[in-house]
Amino acid sequence: MASYTQDLPPKNGFEKIQWQAQNPTRLMRGYTQFALFAAFTLCGWVGFAFWRKRQRRYNLEMMDARVAIEPFLLAEKDRAILKHLRRCRDEENEVMKNVPGWKTGTLWGEPVYYNVRDRFIKPSHTEQIVHLDPKYVNKVQYNHLVQ
Amino acid sequence: MAYSNEDYLPTLEELTVPEIEITSSVFRTAAHHLGKYCDNASKEFMLCRAEEDDPRKCLNEGKEVTRCGFEFLRKVKKSCFAEFNQYLQCIDHSGSEMEFKNCRTTQDIYDNCIKENLGQDRPELGYFAKVRLHKTDRPKPGPRPHHLPDTLPAPPENYEPADPLKKLSKY
Repeated sequence: MASYTQDLPPKNGFEKIQWQAQNPTRLMRGYTQFALFAAFTLCGWVGFAFWRKRQRRYNLEMMDARVAIEPFLLAEKDRAILKHLRRCRDEENEVMKNVPGWKTGTLWGEPVYYNVRDRFIKPSHTEQIVHLDPKYVNKVQYNHLVQ
Repeated sequence: MAYSNEDYLPTLEELTVPEIEITSSVFRTAAHHLGKYCDNASKEFMLCRAEEDDPRKCLNEGKEVTRCGFEFLRKVKKSCFAEFNQYLQCIDHSGSEMEFKNCRTTQDIYDNCIKENLGQDRPELGYFAKVRLHKTDRPKPGPRPHHLPDTLPAPPENYEPADPLKKLSKY
């Protein structure tokens, strides 16, 4: 036969029912909170000022390096561009040699640009790749769209 | 093509010189000392480019810049090859921007070697970024001549312009 135990309250009785509102105890006064806020903000700003100063030094150093090598890159690039223009002109002479009345660099004798002061003209992108192999044209022209 | 056969374009022989074929990290590593070593040539070239606005007229200056760069790199290769390579390895693995801030130790070693062999200090911070004056013997180019059409011929003597009111008077 199974033994039964009567379900009784705890020995020392139940806990007291909490019916009164419990207000949190205050850690610090309002003025202390303001002072702490000011102190932390000040520390943050001072730290930020130091960080910014250091960052500007780094950026200046990087800018120095970029400025220093700029002439070397530009010199090479200028020569490459001029070489390409020369090749394009030679190619046009070769391609259009059998066309009567065609003059290289013009549209049937009419200049493409108004250039009485003989300034340097950098041709448009399309004009630069006009003698390119057609299978590379799309790649060159829309390369910036392809990932 | 925008250039006719009468326009001046340099020949391929004029344009073909040995180019400095080094990658970005090597340029970044060498930048400060290279720039200081070739300071005069670089300033001359950049001034020419800014004044002429025409790469055809600054070819000799550009060649001088490239030659000077070769000279510096050759000297470094001769005397400070190991130090340079050590610094380059650090710069090359120093973040996506190849910053200098992570490589101060190797930079000091490299700088000391350059100081001993080439007698050149690392330029102070902001040396290249500030505005620097440059004295040159090249005359400053003015605007090129602008060929305007001839002036219209003068009117004949005893010329009386027609009075437009006379036409209207008969109405």
